[in-house]
Amino acid sequence: MKLNDRGSSALELTIGRVLRLGVGASSVLLGAGLLLALIHEADGVAKIVLTTAIVVLLATPAARVAISVVEYVRERDWLFVALTLIVLLTLAGSVVVAFWMPGS
Amino acid sequence: MTVSLAAFIFAAGAVAGALGIVLGLGGGIFLVPFLTLVLGFPVKSAAAISLATVIATSSAAAAARAGNHLMNLRLGMLLEVATAAGSLLGGITAQIVAESTLQRIFGVVAILVAAVMLARVNRRNVINDPRADPGRLGDRFYDAESGAVVTYRIKRLPLALAASFVAGNLSSLLGIGGGVIKVPVLNAWCGMPLRAAAATSALMIGVTATGGAIIYYGRGDLQPLIAAPAVLGVQFGSWAGLRLAEHASAKWLKLLMVTILVIVGGLMLVRSLR
Repeated sequence: MKLNDRGSSALELTIGRVLRLGVGASSVLLGAGLLLALIHEADGVAKIVLTTAIVVLLATPAARVAISVVEYVRERDWLFVALTLIVLLTLAGSVVVAFWMPGS
Repeated sequence: MTVSLAAFIFAAGAVAGALGIVLGLGGGIFLVPFLTLVLGFPVKSAAAISLATVIATSSAAAAARAGNHLMNLRLGMLLEVATAAGSLLGGITAQIVAESTLQRIFGVVAILVAAVMLARVNRRNVINDPRADPGRLGDRFYDAESGAVVTYRIKRLPLALAASFVAGNLSSLLGIGGGVIKVPVLNAWCGMPLRAAAATSALMIGVTATGGAIIYYGRGDLQPLIAAPAVLGVQFGSWAGLRLAEHASAKWLKLLMVTILVIVGGLMLVRSLR
């Protein structure tokens, strides 16, 4: 018997792959950046590596949502296209608040 | 950053991560008070670092569960609308309110979490007929415990949405994942089996924590150099905790954690008054 008749099994596996890749990549970068920072040999490089690591980490769940949007478009499931797009736009709202909201 | 400070933060992250995974909470509720009470970070910086660790652990947890149908993708993506909105508002609020207010909210939430843990509801919400209709948002999965495919339906969707919004809000404000609010609500009132609720919540938490972490990062509260040992420590801790979990006595662990949470909550409240 098929466990899930809505075709989202493939999406579940893709999501798993994206999350694993993003977390793995950012962890490797965090480790490398931390080591560089601790030996104080290349502080500029360390800073770039660590910043990249954080950006990759923050982008991972967002990438997962973006991939879900694409998958729901392919399935022509318009309600879920709309829902996942709203989530993506809300995350974009966080970016706007983060970099362009006045003062604090 | 000295080697000893990095090692100290790594160790704290490892303890928080191990406790988190053993108890089914994120590590944030332990990491934030450690960073503020022991290392003297402002709550905002501690919350920002904690959110970075939350993204890593919840994404890893969700990835590990992908493919066994425990995650309810449709429900998760629907509830994410509420939780993302909550985290955006929480992130803005955190920029506006005073440090002492954040400490006070953290103290109250930690003590409430302790109360929830004490009275943890553990009802099983499954229909054992594999042909039962899961409804529009329900799902079915293979339950290893009973060795059968089980089905569940979602009840009280507005309540699930409200809980997700509040969880998102507190997540950004305090640097916790928010699973501690969503999982009991989904399990006790909305018809979800515990493991499905936990898996779906882990998936959502990645997005929740990201909404808040982006705001902290843009505002300069998320320092990558301090986040690095914390994130790596929490990941190591959750990996180790998974192996320890099998041997630990759940009841005593829970009582120990309730005690720690009450003490931590109390200390935060005391500090907020100064």
